[in-house]
Amino acid sequence: MAEDVKPTRKNLMSIEDRIELSERGHDTLEKKRDGLIMEFMDILDQAQDVREELEDSYEHAQRSIDLARALEGDVAVRGAAAALKEHPELTTQSKNIMGVVVPQIESSKVKKDLDERGYGVLGTSARIDEAADAYEDLIANIILAAEVETAMKKLLEEIETTKRRVNALEFKLLPELHENKEYIEQKLEEQEREEIFRMKKIKDMMEEKEAEWEEETEEAVEDPLAADD
Amino acid sequence: MSLYQTDSGGNYEYVTARVRARKAALFDDDDYRKLVRMGTSGIARFMEETEYESEMNELGARHSGVDLVEYALARNLAKHFDDLLRWADGRLYDYVARYLRKFDAWNVKTVLRGLYSDASREDIEDDLVRAGEFSESLLDQLAGSDSVEAAVEVLDSTRYGDALADALRDYEETGTLVPLENAVDRTFYEDLLSDLPAESTRATELYQEFLHAEIDFRNLRNALRLARSGADMDPSEYYIDGGRLFDESEIRQLVGNTDQLVEHIRTSVYGEELEAALETLEDAESLIEFEHALHRAELEYAGRLSNKYPLSICPVLSYILYKEREVENIRAIARGREAGLEPEEIEEELVIL
Repeated sequence: MAEDVKPTRKNLMSIEDRIELSERGHDTLEKKRDGLIMEFMDILDQAQDVREELEDSYEHAQRSIDLARALEGDVAVRGAAAALKEHPELTTQSKNIMGVVVPQIESSKVKKDLDERGYGVLGTSARIDEAADAYEDLIANIILAAEVETAMKKLLEEIETTKRRVNALEFKLLPELHENKEYIEQKLEEQEREEIFRMKKIKDMMEEKEAEWEEETEEAVEDPLAADD
Repeated sequence: MSLYQTDSGGNYEYVTARVRARKAALFDDDDYRKLVRMGTSGIARFMEETEYESEMNELGARHSGVDLVEYALARNLAKHFDDLLRWADGRLYDYVARYLRKFDAWNVKTVLRGLYSDASREDIEDDLVRAGEFSESLLDQLAGSDSVEAAVEVLDSTRYGDALADALRDYEETGTLVPLENAVDRTFYEDLLSDLPAESTRATELYQEFLHAEIDFRNLRNALRLARSGADMDPSEYYIDGGRLFDESEIRQLVGNTDQLVEHIRTSVYGEELEAALETLEDAESLIEFEHALHRAELEYAGRLSNKYPLSICPVLSYILYKEREVENIRAIARGREAGLEPEEIEEELVIL
């Protein structure tokens, strides 16, 4: 509230400093927000592609395993799956996109060679290979989707925060500071006007007194006898 | 022992007559067409009115839905193949038993995988197909093992003992079942053609001809899988000795070049039989259609041999293949319907002759 501020020149200067700082911050945050939105749009395109691929690979994997179960039998598919020992390993690192820390997921042992899947090659069929292949692709796509969608979520959160900060500066802090500045300026001008008026008054009074004193002096000079009488 | 044993070391007349009757009772095109259009419960009901009735009833209390169908199919398959071993005598028994040992190999792999993945004893026992030569007590002992090493020890006295003991070292080093599984499969295939009678008879020749084709088709499938996978693997490790199509050095050379591999098959003894399959292979990205075509060619080849030599091992082996194919087809229909596949899609996956 502008009334809470003491209308002093010192406060005016401090508010002016704050306005300058806030405007600079506002510009920077606006640029950051726009940059983040651009990054977000890029990632959004990528995320849409990854999602589509994920859905396709899920359907393909499901169909492959359905057919493998149908043609090789549930027991054979379960057996081949049970033979797998080496599970995919994930390591997460982080990268920085305009101050937002997003995960970077590195995976290993997702795509496996025929001899790394654990089941014997001699006694199995291409149907099992294709189901395993399809599920390996699905896992790779899930990992990619996890990376891209987490980055997207984090960017979205950061955009929201930045937008709120920009709005707070634009619609709350800066208007308030401007209002305070205006209030102080008005008050100071008013004080100045009052001061001028007071000075004028004093000057008038002084002049009046001086005039009176001069009048009395003149009278005394013109009539010295009357005074002697 | 059968009463119909002949001097040639096998009761071919008796067994082939029984087998012919069994083969005639297998599901035909109409049955498959009906099944493909049924829901899963309809399939189960249909099965209860056929050959599979007793297995469906026996297992009905423990399993349901498509699992019931699958377990009933496996048990029925085991019953029929057990009958073959019961009927056959002499040399014929030996030939049939050699071939049916693939179920022993299957059971060993099932137990190893179960133990490896900490499956319960009951689950492992459910998945066994008791159609091979292993006795019930050996299978029970195997399923009751508490580790892969213990199971290998149980198998010590069997034909898989030495190969598994050797592969156990690799298993302990790599931590994967591949060496053990490959050792089991390799032992099965190597035993198929080993120690055949020195004196070559027509029966032995036919048996060999049939198994050469089986081994060749298996080698061919594996060579194509290796070629497609693009992995840096030594093809000779996955080569089964005994076929006529490749030798070890040829397969090593051909895996790197699919065109040459296809050309090699085209100019081989199977060229004519596999012509359609090879065309499918060139058109399709996936090996599945080629595998179907290969299965079809294998069945046709077996059918032709059994027609040509009706009083030989060929009709028996051909019946084994046809019975296995019936089980695979019914399972494909039931699982396919369960997964919501359209009848046309399922029909494409069936191999019907």
